[in-house]
Amino acid sequence: MLAFFFVDAAYRDAYEPALGTAAGNAAIVHFRRGVAGTLVVCDALLILAVGVASYALARAAVRPLTAAREREARFAADAAHELRTPLAAIASVAQAAREGTPAERAEALETIAARALRAGALLGDLLTLARRSDAEVLHLEPVDLAGVAARVAREAQTGSIALDLQLRGAIVDGDERRLEQLVRNLLANALRHARSRVTLSVAPEEGSARLEIEDDGPGVPPELVARLFQRFAKGAGSEGSGLGLAICRWVAHAHGGEVDYDGGSRFRAFIPLGSYASATEDGRAGSD
Amino acid sequence: MRVLLVEDDPAISAAIGKMLERQRFAVEAVNDGERGLEHILRGTYDLAIVDVMLPGRDGFSLCRSARGEGVTTPILVLTARDAVEDRIRGLDAGADDYVVKPFDEHELAARVRALVRRADRPLQTSLSVGTLSIDPASRTAGVADRPLDLGATEFRLLELLARNRGITLSRAQILEKIWDYDFQGSSNIVDVYVSQLRRKLKAAGTNARITTVWGIGYKLVADTPKHAPSGA
Repeated sequence: MLAFFFVDAAYRDAYEPALGTAAGNAAIVHFRRGVAGTLVVCDALLILAVGVASYALARAAVRPLTAAREREARFAADAAHELRTPLAAIASVAQAAREGTPAERAEALETIAARALRAGALLGDLLTLARRSDAEVLHLEPVDLAGVAARVAREAQTGSIALDLQLRGAIVDGDERRLEQLVRNLLANALRHARSRVTLSVAPEEGSARLEIEDDGPGVPPELVARLFQRFAKGAGSEGSGLGLAICRWVAHAHGGEVDYDGGSRFRAFIPLGSYASATEDGRAGSD
Repeated sequence: MRVLLVEDDPAISAAIGKMLERQRFAVEAVNDGERGLEHILRGTYDLAIVDVMLPGRDGFSLCRSARGEGVTTPILVLTARDAVEDRIRGLDAGADDYVVKPFDEHELAARVRALVRRADRPLQTSLSVGTLSIDPASRTAGVADRPLDLGATEFRLLELLARNRGITLSRAQILEKIWDYDFQGSSNIVDVYVSQLRRKLKAAGTNARITTVWGIGYKLVADTPKHAPSGA
């Protein structure tokens, strides 16, 4: 509207002399219609452009929110799906046991306890994986990864599997509970697949505490290798939750490190060493 | 061994009680926070197991109040939340360890045993070495009225050295008492923490010093002006 008046006023001087004549008036009307038409089209295009741009900007702004909501929805769906399994077992076993012999009931209770604990662990793992994997979610202090490995190995149920430890001190800035979880998950996998022996080593190497674990079992099936560290990646007939390695990677990344698969049945974890070389010297030397 | 159990869920309380009795503990169970606090202040227990979510007074508040009154009983909290903020809240409130629900009774038993083993003889009174004073109940240490900023593990190491003031403790002894690593190799973790403590003691300007006894270990002593600082 405004533009029309401006344009018209700008050309008024030009067509002023023509006002009054029939041909001039007709030409002026024709001219004004042209200007109005052009301006309407420009306006329409402008509105369209602004509309499209606004829509695109709004979508971009909202994308992180929708991504977060999708993550939450996925987590809830995964949790629900995975927790159904142990809960279903608990419900069935409990109901069946009502009419059972004392021996059957005792066995049922063992199953129920085991499944309930598994559901709890699963929930804990899913909550962990739903969080950002960075140092802020860790409670950091100097921790000797070799010591953690020794303690986890001591508490593990090895059954008939021989556990061969080669540990050298390697102090990291770490969250002790989380590092225990990492070692426990790797060890549990190895023990599950081993035939007779598992080797676990920790040593400082080039700025990292390097943990290596290997079992003498059949190794990872080729079709599983690509998905190995993803949630719910499981081998056929495997009893695990499928979250163990995903958790290992989460813990390693949160510490600024990495976990990888080294072929066969070898897994490695690297956690950056803390900068304590001078502290060690000072501690020993007794300087104060 | 006497254990105080503060848990309001009757099923869990009965189950933990039975489990502890199987492990030869004598269990006293209460089901709310206020009575829990009364019991821990009045009685002597080797350990208290406290649920965080309690009617009346919550578990953290119970810990804080008990520590404020000088109670040194080891406290294990039961919590449904294991986010780092919640874990630190527990330690700040004065709890010694935590177990996340639902828990495996073997894990609970292992942590209970570890806490009881760590506790030695519960000392109500505060310790002092030179100008350094240590309050085992509130897990704080300070020089004059200036507190030292110590992490949980740093405090436990300092307290251990202070309880054994003047006595040399070997690295292996310290490792076993504080870290429970059972690590046959050599771990430098003790040296790292000794170094950190030394830095903090020096910054606080205290005459208490951790000295290295070559070939044996460490001890905490107070320098007197007449003697040169003992470094070996």
